[in-house]
Amino acid sequence: MTSALGQGFVLLGLIAAGFGAAFGYIAGVKRSAAGLRLTRRLALLFAVAMVGASAVMWYALLNHDFSVSYVAQVGSLATPLHITIFSLWSSLEGSILFWGLILGLYIAAAATFQRRGHEDYLAYTLATLLGIGAFFTFLIASVADPFAPTPPPVPVDGPGPNPLLQNHLLMAIHPPMLYLGYVGMSVPFAMAVAALLRGQLGATWLRPMRRWLLVPTSFLTAGIMLGGWWSYEVLGWGGYWAWDPVENASFLPWLTGIAALHSGIVQQRRGTLKAWTVILIMITFLLTILGTFLTRSGVVNSVHSFTQSPIGPVFLGFLGLCAAAVVVLLALRIDTLVSEPSNERLVSREGAFLLNNLLFVSLMFTVLVGTLYPIVAESLRGVKVSVGEPYFNRMAVPLFAGLLLLMGVGPALPWGGSDPKLVRRALVRPLPAAAVGLVVALLFGARSAPVLIVSAFAGFALWVTADQGLRPVRARPRRQGGRGPLAAVLVAPDRLGAYVVHLGVLITFVAVAVSSTFQREAESTLRAGDTLRLAGYEMTFRGAERVQEPHLIRHQAEVEVSTNGRSRGVLYPSLNIYPNQREPIGTPAVRTSAGHDLYLTLMNVGSDGSIGLRAITTPLVAWIWIGVVIMVLGTALCLIPTAAERRATTPRAVPDLAASPAGGGQ
Amino acid sequence: MNRKVLLVGLGISLPLLVLLGFGFRHDPQIVESPLVGKPAPNFRLADLDGNIVDLAELRGRPVIVNFWATYCVPCWAEHPLLLEGSRRWQGEIHFLGVIFQDDPDLIAQFTAEYGRWGPSLIDEGGRVAIAYGVYGPPETFFIGRDGVIVDKAIGAVAPEQLLSVANRMLAQSAAATG
Repeated sequence: MTSALGQGFVLLGLIAAGFGAAFGYIAGVKRSAAGLRLTRRLALLFAVAMVGASAVMWYALLNHDFSVSYVAQVGSLATPLHITIFSLWSSLEGSILFWGLILGLYIAAAATFQRRGHEDYLAYTLATLLGIGAFFTFLIASVADPFAPTPPPVPVDGPGPNPLLQNHLLMAIHPPMLYLGYVGMSVPFAMAVAALLRGQLGATWLRPMRRWLLVPTSFLTAGIMLGGWWSYEVLGWGGYWAWDPVENASFLPWLTGIAALHSGIVQQRRGTLKAWTVILIMITFLLTILGTFLTRSGVVNSVHSFTQSPIGPVFLGFLGLCAAAVVVLLALRIDTLVSEPSNERLVSREGAFLLNNLLFVSLMFTVLVGTLYPIVAESLRGVKVSVGEPYFNRMAVPLFAGLLLLMGVGPALPWGGSDPKLVRRALVRPLPAAAVGLVVALLFGARSAPVLIVSAFAGFALWVTADQGLRPVRARPRRQGGRGPLAAVLVAPDRLGAYVVHLGVLITFVAVAVSSTFQREAESTLRAGDTLRLAGYEMTFRGAERVQEPHLIRHQAEVEVSTNGRSRGVLYPSLNIYPNQREPIGTPAVRTSAGHDLYLTLMNVGSDGSIGLRAITTPLVAWIWIGVVIMVLGTALCLIPTAAERRATTPRAVPDLAASPAGGGQ
Repeated sequence: MNRKVLLVGLGISLPLLVLLGFGFRHDPQIVESPLVGKPAPNFRLADLDGNIVDLAELRGRPVIVNFWATYCVPCWAEHPLLLEGSRRWQGEIHFLGVIFQDDPDLIAQFTAEYGRWGPSLIDEGGRVAIAYGVYGPPETFFIGRDGVIVDKAIGAVAPEQLLSVANRMLAQSAAATG
């Protein structure tokens, strides 16, 4: 019964998406208002169907309806309620359904919010989105059907979700954030397809596109950060980023998404880089599909991978189809997107943007090659290799340092960069800040060249970021007779937002550089009463106990932490044993402070009551997360409409004139 | 039609797709053991009650040999699975436990409390563990009717592996392999 209802909703979604895609395309070709209306309705129907299907699945999960195969696979009577709710995305089939739900919500949002101001493109945009929706509902209806009835006999209880997902509340928000990022990239992609089909790219395309690109990029930022945080808080190895293939998979579209955001700015200001922006958006979307494929096909080895399943080949087919469509569409239509003529200098704001794009794309290729190299090696030579941190760090760190430098130099340079004197002044003024950064790093004992370079670049960039970001606040009150700083900011919140994002990036950047360089650790076997010492901390093992909980057995060690003989509290690192899991899963205990983290992991518990304890101190870890939070807040600022946009909210019947004058060249 | 775009696009995406297609041929999680496909080293060991078990005498029926210990956490994790397996294939597959560097009294206590899926054999000096190249508990060896090692698991046995290998071993005909 529940199965049938769920499958019904999925089928409804498939039909709505299939017809919606077809009608939308026809409406786009014929520029038919009635056709667009119908497409919008089908888009909303698709969203309703996805919400319905997910609601049915949640209902089945909460009622422990083991006649639904997905519930039999991940449900368990002993699992706590909140984990049962999250288990919708804890396994392959459910995660695809969840994907469908988010896509449905995005499509509904696009159909609703872009009703005005994007009319020329909307039919094609929705048609593309519904085409993607049709693929996902097809997946849910066929190879990844979470609603398939459980073959009899129906079990009375299930194994429960993957323990790694039960271990920390972050697992509740990390996957949805990533999905919101991944799936959201479909919207700018659909808009890019629409622009190519229309053969034009004007203001009513660019403004909504930037917004719809900003939202998923921001979710991706948050999702990647939460993944790092989860890895740090749960996996017990003391790090937050391991260049694992699946981490890389989320990193790739993030890089190109950010590149596209920046090239969009150039397009907005100078009318150039149009085709390039479109290409970047399309690559971003393809990378999200590639990432999903890597995660779900089992072709790469990773802690994240789902088990091998028939979904892999189907996904590969979809990836191939999308890639082919993108390449052909670009080849056919790219010449219609004409940029305004330009004779830019390299030492200018737009030159910096261009370099920024180059670095982002190089980074993307670097990470892509490292991620896929194991498959290459295995296919060609039949050997198993894994590409580890040394490759990525060696390749990526210089590129990141370059981006950091550009973050300082770019915003300081004037657009056009015509006056060399102006350029020189802009670049000289922040130099004292760079020197301060260098001195601070030296005072803290940094001696390695990369850290010193990063510190100097960061000082430079910080000065420029603050200078540029605060410029409207400082300038306005004087000119506009006592207007408060808030009002001044609200004139162009996106400008301040952009620099707030940069500030967050700087903080995270420095925190990553410092935390990865100055980590210290100690490891020892302790009996009750023994003490482990590290970096001024004394950690005394008081005893271990075995706690039986409904869904797990926990071995918990009591470790008293003190510095200079003064107690700083008790930490409880633990090892959890889940009945459905092969290995025990450790839960580290972390003591966070502004300066550094103390991180305790229980390595093993001996039969004689001794424990293996590992202690790690890492400076500035908390600032990585703080920096990302600032980035997300900055993005939120960017989403507030500017004063000009607010004035223009009344619908205008002005058609989107091809924004480029005739005769422009690439 | 912009040929340059077409060529560059296809030049990048086609090899990538072919490569990913190749990726399906291998499961990256599998690490092969040199013992798989070779005859299982024989052993003659006493269990906790003093009964002697001789591997050679069990030929004709599949055997699952599990090296384990009470101090090893994954061993506890796989315990219910082995219990269920020993019940399911009772009289069809032999389940043998070999104690890996542990106190037989603790083993007796453990099996009394949590159930027993097979005899726990005392491996004096760890000679059998060395013969099987056991690195650490738990490791599980699946031995076919003909005495040849069919498969090996490092760490707790996964239910899927137990099920598929057991079925594979049961399907082997004893006559054909002698």
